[in-house]
Amino acid sequence: MNTPQPPRWAKTLLRWLHPENTIEEVEGDLDELYAYACKRSGKTHALLRYLLNVLTVLPPFVRRRGGKTQYDQPFSLSPDMLKNYFKIAWRNIVRQKAYSLLNIAGLSIGMACSILILLWVQNELSYDRFHTRANQLFRLTCSAGDFKAAVSPAGMARGLQAQLPQVKGGVRMSKPSPMLFEVGEKKVEEKRVFYADSNFLEVFSFPLLAGNTATALSDPGAILITEETARKYYGTADAVGKTVRINNHDNFTIAGVLANTPSNSHLQFDAIIPMKTMASWNWDLKNDTWGNFNFYTYLELDEKTAASGPARQKLLQQIGKMFKAHGETIKIDFQLQPLTDIHLHSNLQIDVPGHGNIQYVNVFFIVAIFILAVACINFMNLATARSERRAKEVGLRKVVGANRYQLVFQFLGESLMFSFLSLVIAIGIVYLLLPVFTMLTEKTLAIHLLDGKLLMSLLGIAVLTGLVSGSYPALFLSGFAPVKVLKGKMRVAGGNLLFRNALVVTQFVVAIVLLVGTAVVYKQLDFIKKRNLGFDKSNLLYLPMTGELGGKQQALKTSLAQNPLTENFTVISDLPTKLESGTVDVVWDGQISRNQVVFPSLDVDENFIKVFKSQVLAGRGFDKMFLGDSSSYMINEKAMQVMGMNINNAVGKPLTFGNTKGTIIGVVKDFHFKSLQYAMEPLILRLNKWGGVVMVRTTAGNNEQTIKALEKINQRLNPAFPFTFGFLDKDLDNLYRSEQQMGGIFNLFAGLAIFISCLGLYGLSAFMAEQRTKEIGVRKVLGATVAGVVGLLSQDFLKLIVIAIVIASPIAWYAMNKWLQGFAYQTTLEWWVIGLAAILATGIALFTISFQSIKAALTDPVKSLRSE
Amino acid sequence: MRRTYLGEFEELVLLMIVILDGDAYGVTVSHEIEQHTGRVVTFGAVHNTLIRLEEKGFVTSELGGATTERGGRRKRLFKVTTLGRSALADIQQLRNKLWKLMPDATLKLSGI
Repeated sequence: MNTPQPPRWAKTLLRWLHPENTIEEVEGDLDELYAYACKRSGKTHALLRYLLNVLTVLPPFVRRRGGKTQYDQPFSLSPDMLKNYFKIAWRNIVRQKAYSLLNIAGLSIGMACSILILLWVQNELSYDRFHTRANQLFRLTCSAGDFKAAVSPAGMARGLQAQLPQVKGGVRMSKPSPMLFEVGEKKVEEKRVFYADSNFLEVFSFPLLAGNTATALSDPGAILITEETARKYYGTADAVGKTVRINNHDNFTIAGVLANTPSNSHLQFDAIIPMKTMASWNWDLKNDTWGNFNFYTYLELDEKTAASGPARQKLLQQIGKMFKAHGETIKIDFQLQPLTDIHLHSNLQIDVPGHGNIQYVNVFFIVAIFILAVACINFMNLATARSERRAKEVGLRKVVGANRYQLVFQFLGESLMFSFLSLVIAIGIVYLLLPVFTMLTEKTLAIHLLDGKLLMSLLGIAVLTGLVSGSYPALFLSGFAPVKVLKGKMRVAGGNLLFRNALVVTQFVVAIVLLVGTAVVYKQLDFIKKRNLGFDKSNLLYLPMTGELGGKQQALKTSLAQNPLTENFTVISDLPTKLESGTVDVVWDGQISRNQVVFPSLDVDENFIKVFKSQVLAGRGFDKMFLGDSSSYMINEKAMQVMGMNINNAVGKPLTFGNTKGTIIGVVKDFHFKSLQYAMEPLILRLNKWGGVVMVRTTAGNNEQTIKALEKINQRLNPAFPFTFGFLDKDLDNLYRSEQQMGGIFNLFAGLAIFISCLGLYGLSAFMAEQRTKEIGVRKVLGATVAGVVGLLSQDFLKLIVIAIVIASPIAWYAMNKWLQGFAYQTTLEWWVIGLAAILATGIALFTISFQSIKAALTDPVKSLRSE
Repeated sequence: MRRTYLGEFEELVLLMIVILDGDAYGVTVSHEIEQHTGRVVTFGAVHNTLIRLEEKGFVTSELGGATTERGGRRKRLFKVTTLGRSALADIQQLRNKLWKLMPDATLKLSGI
């Protein structure tokens, strides 16, 4: 027919924007009106009217037609409904006991893990934040090329304070020095004793329990001890005014009792002695030197400078200038290290011991989230897999008028119930595991439930877990169409299966990455332990020369030499676990620029090469036969390279160390004198003239007798001091303590992650087997073997695990390579490690599935087919 | 009986539906209003009023059979309900009562 048609675009617009349920009649009406207007008043007029009419039936003008039938929506939070929700949830938990157990166990273990890790992370992050002006405090550190150290010269604190207005205060701390404390009968060597400036208590916020804060550290004969130390010696915290004898030599009066050092302080001390005491004998302090780097300097900056990076940069430049103006020629850069960064961000040498590592904190934080995610995934997986069972309930609820929001609310509420139940159990587990975890991390962690912040975060975890794990089942279940469900035509949609499979893959990716991580951490530890250090570390016993031993060196040496057990000994200045001395003041032939490279130095005696079993590559070791050896030097290979010499020409070259001119008499093969985290550094060996540590090479099996012999010698020569000794290999192992801890924790959590994943897998396989009961029955009737059926059931999961392996491998590879880069000497990351982890994961998974698949395969087909 | 407020335009549309007697849908109602009052109304106004009247329960609607003339699209036909009728009657009654209360002079002055 020839009826005029309105413009197409206007129609499209109408169809696009007009409410769907009235579009048909409106479109028809509008067409009719248009045709009528065309006839009456022409096309232009009709078009205008049409457009106007279209506009008035577009949103926001148009009124929407409600549904044909409108009932009052029941209030979803009405008490009756709530009661019903709880009842249904409880019945579901009780009716499907195994399923509920799997769910709650998985969730609570996951939560307990995360809580433990988060406790640890929180503890690590809280270091040194308890100081009132923590954000204004900085430690002055220095670096010369690659050699970064936490120490600075004694004179700088006062010098900077006097000349730079930005520096409001400065405290110097000595390195910790072990001292023999004597109170009455009690005689103990205290290792954590520091000397500190008198304003120590003002700058830091270590509370003083008794004594006068202002004067406590101003009297040279005074000492501050912690409450714990006071209890140890006096049996009471009230120790002010009492005396303690130190190193059999000086009496100190206790001027105050400090609260025990908070465990989250990087400075851990048992006693503090005023710096003035040290100033009476220390050369550095007497001369206010700017040249020797022996003290820790903490600076308090004004708020403005502390807050702004550029201002601190400027300050550093000024410090550098002042350093030069003091006539120091060493090329050295200073840094300001924020106090709160010291614990986690410090990789400096010559630092106080016991630092953490931000990398580990990050890694564990991520692991905590992963484990929680794995637990959530379990929950989602099982809930969706079991959704068919509840489909009827959903259908019925919808039929009697529940809307989607109510159902979402119901299922979310249920998962929240699960998660809160799990939280309660998790807290119980945490209480049980805390002692073990404390042992593993060597930290005093505690869970204080009454602490508002902790409680909030725990509740937060529970709510988050509940919402995340409940979200998918809630949205999925509430979307069922009641007609289909009640007819029983419910088929698990492909999308649902895909989603579930993706979840399983994610779980196993996490598990495999953690497994590889564990393997690599252990491999690296093993590598470090087994690495040839350049000397034989086994059976090396050491005896530090404390007290009177230093003065009686000759007698000591004679007695050692007399006993066949101890005759194989040497005296060296420092243990090769942490060599802390170093200088840049070295001059050699052909040197290009002075004061560039830091040379650590070790003072050894004539027996060193023999006792340590290290190798001389050229020249000779120190020898009593040569009288001039006091000005002779040995160097290591690295030093030889740094100095631009080679094996053939190094021996005999002149070398000036400090103010002593001498010659190189030998080149020793590189041996490790520091933690393997640091690359090999150049080393200069000097002839030991002052003592240090006696190292005795014992023969295997004679350790106890040797220790007894040493103790006897100590008792005779050094009766006032207790006998202390140690084994070098043990100390070396201790260097890698944090790595060992990391390995232990990683191991624990990898295991748990796998366990949780397996719980989920177990539930899922049970469900799958149940669903396929009939199929299996038919297959068996037709002649399928048990092995065939098990294979069939395992196949699906195996595919997922293979995908997980493919995804996890590169992730694990990348992450572990990153971690290994932190070591100067690293083990190689080989493919077999990942392969092993993959095989292990597959094995565990198949083992888990086998329970259900074998059970299903063994079922008598008569039973499974009889019903119906 | 629950009294529902009926607006002026709503009353007009409701009256038209009664007048059209079973043949009331968007187009016819628009035409009737235009014819009887001379007012040019937009289709949107009519459409919205029809929906509102239905929500208030004065009219019911159903989709008519397929038609040939408007591209096969069905019409939504409106019928007045008992409630609608009684509402109209109420208004009529009220008006009559009020008219009767008016003094005669006013009527004359208004100049019919």
